[in-house]
Order: sequence, then structure tokens, then C-alpha cells
Amino acid sequence: MAAAGPRTSTPQRRRPAPAISSPSSKIREIEEDEGEEETDKVVDFSHARTMAEPVIPDLFTQLPPVREGYLTDTLDVQLETARECMKFLDGLNTREPLVTRNEHGVPKLARDRHVRFLHMALGNLPGGFLVADASRPWFLYWSLSALVMLGQDVTSYRDGLIVTARSMQNDTGGFGGGGRQLSHLATTYAVVLSLALVGGGEAYDVIDRKAMWKWLNSLKQPDGGFQVCLGGEEDIRGAYCASVIITLLRLPLDLSPESPAYTGDSNANLFTGVADYVSRCQTFEGGISGQPNVEAHGAYAFCALGCLAILDHPSRSIPRYLDVPRLVSWLSSRQYAPEGGFSGRTNKLVDGCYSHWVGGCFPLIEACLNGNPPSDRHRPGDGDGGVGRVGGGGALAADGPAATATTTTTATATATTASSSGRGGRLPPAEDGLFHREGLIRYILCCCQDTTKRGGLRDKPGKGSDAYHSCYVLSGLSSAQHQWELDDEPRPPLAESPAETKDAETSKIPSDQDIDPEAHLEAVWAVLPYLDGPRVFDNDDCVRPIHPIYAIPQGSVRAIRAYFGEKGQGVVL
Amino acid sequence: MAAELKKELYGGGVGGEDGKLSTDPEWADVEPVVLQEPEGALAAIAYPDDYAEAMAYLRAVMQAKEHSPRCLRLTEHIIEMNPAHYTVWLYRAANVFALNLPILDEITWLNEVALQNLKNYQIWHHRHLLVENYHPLIASDPAAISAFAASERAFIAQMLSEDTKNYHVWSYRSYVVSKLGLFDDADELAAIEGLIDKDVRNNSAWSHRFFLVFSNPAYATPGAAATAYDAGVPAEVVDREIEYVTGKIRLAPQNQSGWNYLRGVMVKGGRKLASVEGFVSEFVIRLGEERSEGGKEGEGEEGEGEDVLSTHALDLLAEIYAEKGEKEKADLSLRRLGQKWDRIRVGYWEWRRKCLEVGA
Ligand SMILES: [Zn+2]
Repeated sequence: MAAAGPRTSTPQRRRPAPAISSPSSKIREIEEDEGEEETDKVVDFSHARTMAEPVIPDLFTQLPPVREGYLTDTLDVQLETARECMKFLDGLNTREPLVTRNEHGVPKLARDRHVRFLHMALGNLPGGFLVADASRPWFLYWSLSALVMLGQDVTSYRDGLIVTARSMQNDTGGFGGGGRQLSHLATTYAVVLSLALVGGGEAYDVIDRKAMWKWLNSLKQPDGGFQVCLGGEEDIRGAYCASVIITLLRLPLDLSPESPAYTGDSNANLFTGVADYVSRCQTFEGGISGQPNVEAHGAYAFCALGCLAILDHPSRSIPRYLDVPRLVSWLSSRQYAPEGGFSGRTNKLVDGCYSHWVGGCFPLIEACLNGNPPSDRHRPGDGDGGVGRVGGGGALAADGPAATATTTTTATATATTASSSGRGGRLPPAEDGLFHREGLIRYILCCCQDTTKRGGLRDKPGKGSDAYHSCYVLSGLSSAQHQWELDDEPRPPLAESPAETKDAETSKIPSDQDIDPEAHLEAVWAVLPYLDGPRVFDNDDCVRPIHPIYAIPQGSVRAIRAYFGEKGQGVVL
Repeated sequence: MAAELKKELYGGGVGGEDGKLSTDPEWADVEPVVLQEPEGALAAIAYPDDYAEAMAYLRAVMQAKEHSPRCLRLTEHIIEMNPAHYTVWLYRAANVFALNLPILDEITWLNEVALQNLKNYQIWHHRHLLVENYHPLIASDPAAISAFAASERAFIAQMLSEDTKNYHVWSYRSYVVSKLGLFDDADELAAIEGLIDKDVRNNSAWSHRFFLVFSNPAYATPGAAATAYDAGVPAEVVDREIEYVTGKIRLAPQNQSGWNYLRGVMVKGGRKLASVEGFVSEFVIRLGEERSEGGKEGEGEEGEGEDVLSTHALDLLAEIYAEKGEKEKADLSLRRLGQKWDRIRVGYWEWRRKCLEVGA
């Protein structure tokens, strides 16, 4: 234990009071250009400079204390991976001439090499990339997003992006993987985010919003979800991509009579049933599957929480549609020691990209748990805000059958299932952080950087770097380095309902169409560098923060929404 | 189907003697649609000539909405070069249905492609579309259904032998069970048990078992949440599953798949978690005690004498103590997880301690 760092060796230590008491007064946003210099002023880690030997907590240099001898393929590869990662974590793997480690034994972020790698990915690609012919928009988003997080100005790519995006757009709405390819929600999501990253009216105006709205209507399914393309599969990725596109472009929510989901119900809209679809994807483990009845998987957890956070303030939408204690348990189980990184599923290996897919869930979960300012956390009549199940699901169930969800509308059924157990009490806020930030940062900087001239970031040691992992590993680093707090919007749209009472079981369950999709989206995500616990990276190894839902800088989200807000939602119809 | 006809549809290839479509008389009537990347395009791919040519012909026939054997062969040709091209797959499906081709022939062809492209997922949606179209033809014939189920199961087994946790394969398997109604199919459950016997840590297999058992429409309440009690599930089923999973946990107590499954079963069955306290306690020895057996009192620190064979058992034990109102013991369990046995999750264990405070 001698080598253990402060947090690791004394996990019970009470943290000092949070440095930030009032979001409005003290929180400054770190955006674009002001970020890194400011960080220098608020972080004092001079004490660490006095240490001569790198301090690497034994948590990251030893196998976990519980061992077992019953070997199967899963355990074999797990042990092999843990041992391989330990070589990179303990700093003794010195045959890497390009790696410099700091006093915590953590390598520097090889910013310049990663930047070069990403510029290459945006340039001309050799013939071997033909298998990426249907996913070129992803390369644009991954590379531009990663460059932005690394502090690069990407406006020089604006003209190139505009012509590229135009060549991928279909007259019938949406963007395909390339010219004359079917429009797909994933590629459209990637193009829209890329245009938002380079910014500017000329870039935004590439998008034919009216055709986009029509196309999205054609994908909307009667069960609430979205097909990823006409005739394609329906899954939670589709729901997330559609929700992002609709809200960034401020498309009208109206359901067109041509939509497969159209029933003539004038209250139904493009968001109707999305939350129920998400709810059906939660599994017995607590995580989220791509479609109902499949194994919980990290990538889909992020899509699910992203969807819910778009539909309403996460402190309302997440507990209403998901079993939060089970979800948090599952998310937390994704982090392994000694590796420090996240896996995507139970009994699978750590992989750098889950730094985003799983790591990126925590700001949304924290916004869910910390939703209301402490002063009015217990105010009466705030509906489901902060309510959820506390532990012992079995005990709750045994007290009497919880909602059995046989009612006619699934919205009511699912909502009841999720909120009727409010008797278990409120869930406490997550002020101290629900995952091990130091662990994730160590995994990323020690194990996920390509250590050759090539640059770029990767899944794990032994794997090649690529644009996809570069983007999502850096997103994970960004969320580990920052702390987000979602301010409450001035007037929660649902709290004023007279039918809303403290007893969730008897209260009116708001239907999807009551949800004002805008109010909570206008709320500010306040961001600060994360200051608690040991800080194992140097100031110049900070990456920029990105919006917890949209995965691009908050300024980019605001700019594109403002642009289309000025144009007015009615314009496209 | 005659071999000749099959060659017209499958494996016949495209292109003239030099392999080019432009010299193939069969394609002479088609004007290829060549796409020029715009000046300054980003991430532009230098397509090999044969791929670029095939795509140009594909655009032409798609634009003309042609459905024909030669189109089918063209899609096969492109899929060989780039199996990730979703537009090509959907166009292929449209050809299969427009030409009214025997679905089983297409599935046979698809099996080969799938085995060569394990990570590809377009093949699974294609298969899904084929089954959607095939099912109505056999729906009223139980023998045909079970024959088809058996052949699908054999193919899935072959895919899983290459990669036991392939997410697309397991998603497809879940779909097939629902579509063909295989919840009570003894072979399906036996196949899953076989995979769990092979690797008790295969969480995909455990997840599928949970779906098979607890989503069985014979008794499961439609729409019941996965993490909620379901009064429809018979007690014998719950007992059987507890028996099964506890046996597997004994093999590998630190295997989280087993514990997640056990907890899931208890909740579905509306059982008190405390009803398995005896079993869970087997894996947590002398929790919080200072000394091991035979040691002298007052010599060690808290927990020095304890042994934990499974962090997941200790997690569940904390819940059991909370359920019984034994808050201090619950708190101790969570503290020991954060202090020693599962330190990477200390933030979570601390949050769980706070849950104890507000939840009682
Ligand atoms: Zn990955």
C-alpha cells in the first residue's frame, strides 16, 4: 500500500466540501479558447512536484484481491489483458522512446502526433479504405471532433466539408454514406454534427431541413422507435441519432400523414413513444440493449440516456423510464482494475471507446441524481424529480407486485413501473463522483495512446489506432477531466400540473406530448475542470469539454440551435 | 432448382473476359453512372477500378429500379468487395423479393457470406428481412417451423463457435426465438446450457437464457419491465432458475454473470433477497473481523481477518442487510468493498452508503 495515491489508499477520506457551491456565481464555462489558461490558475498541484519517484497506486499495478482458479476462455483473456495493461500502467515498459511520463507515472498526451494522425484521416484515403465507402461521414465526425477536443481550429475544413456533405445529401432528405447512397440516420447524424463543428451559416444551410423532416417521418415506427434507414433495422441508435438531429436542426415535431407511425391522433409527434422504446431496452442487468430482449451493451446505454436527456430534463426523464439504481450498478461495474478502463458488457474486456459510451453516461446520470438544486430538492410537487428505486428491488417487489404494465398505452405502463416504487425513497445526489476518474485517465493516457510516430488513439495495447477510437477515447478523457452540472430551467414544464402530487402512483403520468422539448434544452450545462482527488495529468494534457448529450462543444450546439431558432420552426413546413 | 438457373443467380459473377463490366455483353445496354468526387472533398477514397466500375453500374440499375438476376449477381460482386455497404444489401433484398426467389436458397448463400464476415452486421438485417418474408409461408406448418428453427440454430451455433459473444448473432437469435415462438423449445434451452457449460462467464448466453425464461409468452406479463416483479412467472420456474444459477455460481464465485442472473431471477419472482442469504454468506467470511480464525484479539485492524470469495456476493449481502433493516452491517459491507475488495468502484460504493441513509 505504500505506493498508493491519496484517493486509492484512503478511499474513506471525506472529500473537502465541493469547490463550487453555486453554479450561477462560480461556474465558468470553459469553451473554445479560454479553457486551458484558466485551468492553470485554479489547479495547484505543486505538492506533487516534490516527489521524485512516480507514485502509481497499487490498484493499477496488481491483479484484484479476489482471484479464482476455475479457468474459462473469458477469464483467460481477461487475465491476459490485465497483465498486458499493467505493463503500460506501471511505467516500467520503457521501451517506448517517444513516451515521457510525469511524476505520477502517466504519459503525456501526445497531442501533436494525434493531431497529425487525424488530419491524415481527413485527407485522401488509399483504396484499402473502400470498406469505409458507406461510413465516410463517420470519418469526418470522428476526426473533426477529435481535433476540436485537442484544441485545433477546424474552420479550415469548412469549405471541404460543405462540398463533401452536399455530395452525400439526398433530395428525399438525409445524408447517405456517400453520393447516391441511401440516407441513413447514423451517417446523417455524423454529417450534421460535422457541419455543427465547423460552424457558420453556409455550413448549416447545406441541410435541406424540410426534406429532412419528411425523411425522419418516413423512419418513425408505430412502436416509438426509428428505422436507421428506409427498410433498415430499428434500434436505439436510430432513436438517439433522430433525437439529436431533430433538436439541433429545430425541426417541427409534427407527424406527417405519410409516416408509418401516423394514426390520426393529433397529439402524436415524432417523439411520441421514444422514451417507452428506450425503457423496453433496459435489461435485467440494469444496462441497455440495442433492441429489446438482448444483452446490455455500453454503446446503447449512452444512446438511451442521450435520448431521455433530449426528451426532458434528465432528473425527470431518466427515473421515469429507467430503473436508476440497477443502471448505476451496471454502469459502475463496467470499470475494471487494474486496467482502469471500461468494458462494454459484463465479462468483456476493457476498450478505450467505452471511455465515451460508458464514461459519457456519468454526466447524464449525475444530472439525473443532482437534478434539483439542494435548496429545493425536497420541494413538494416536483413529481418524479429525483425519485427512484433505492437498492433492494427484490424487497420492493416482494412488498407487493409493482406495476404489471398491462394497461393500454405503454407510456402509462412503463412510467408506472419506473416510478411507483417511489416509496423506496429518494436517491442521494452523486456529488463525489460515481466512477474512478483517476483510473480512467490512467487507462487512457497509459494504454490507449499509440506510442509510435503514427499517433492516434486505440482500443487497448496491441491494437492499432483509428479515427473512431481517437474520437471516443478523447471524449472519455474529456468527461473524466471535467465536471458537469445542468442548471435547472426556470420553469420545469411538468411541475406546474395541478394533477401532480407527491404520490407518483396516483398522479397523472404526463404523456409524451406534454413534454416541451425546448425548455430543458435551453438550460445551461455548466462545466468546470474536475478538481477533487489526485490529478494525475499535466495542465497541458487537458482536452476541451464537449456537450454531454450532443458530443460536440456546447458553443457549437448553441450556435446551430440559435441559427435555426432564428429561422423559426415553422419555416420548413 | 436447376444448377444453371442457380448460376444465373448465385456465384455466376459479372464482367467480360477481362473481368470488366464495360466489356460484358450482358451489361452493354447499361450506361454506368460515374460519380466524381467534388473538388476538395474530405476523406475521399481512391477506389480501386473494379469497385468504382461496379458501383457505377449499380447506381444505373438502382436508378432504373431494375430487378433482375444480373442485378443480384452485381450485388454479390460488390458485397464480396465491401460487405458493409448497406445500400447494396437493401437493394439485393429488393431483388430477391421482386424476383420471388426461394428464400432458403438466399439463406444458403448468405451462410457462406456470414462465415467470411464475422463482424459484419448488414448480413443480419438481410437475414431478418428474409425470415420476415419466409415466415408467413410456413407459419401454419409446425413441422416446417421446427425444421427451419433447427437449421437456424445450427447456423447460429457455427457462428458462435467462431465468436461466442458476437452481439449481432445474439440479437438475431433473440429475434428468431420471438418470431418462431421457440420459448418452450427444449433444444434452444439445451443449446444455451451447452454454451454456459463451455464458458460459465459467457454473459451473452446468460442474457439469452433470461429472455427465454422470463419473456415466455406462455406466462410472462406482456410489457413487464426486465427489472421488475412479474406475477405471471410460475414459482417452479423461479425455483428452477435459482437452483440452476446457484450451482453455476459455486463453480466461479467471482463471475458477475451468475450474480446478475440470480438477482434478476429473485426480482422477477418477487422473492425476498434474504431468502438466499445462507447461500450468499458462503462467499463472505468473517466480514469486518479483526483476526482470522485462531488469531489473537486486538492484534489486527478492521477486516484483517475477513475473506471475500466474491465481491458480487458482498454487494448482494449489503442489499440483503438493507432489506432486513440491518443498516450497520449493510454499511460495513459497502465500506469493505470500497476499502479493499473492489476499490476501483469506491465512488459507487460510497454512493450506495448514502442510499442507505436516505432509503430507510
Ligand atoms: Zn472500441
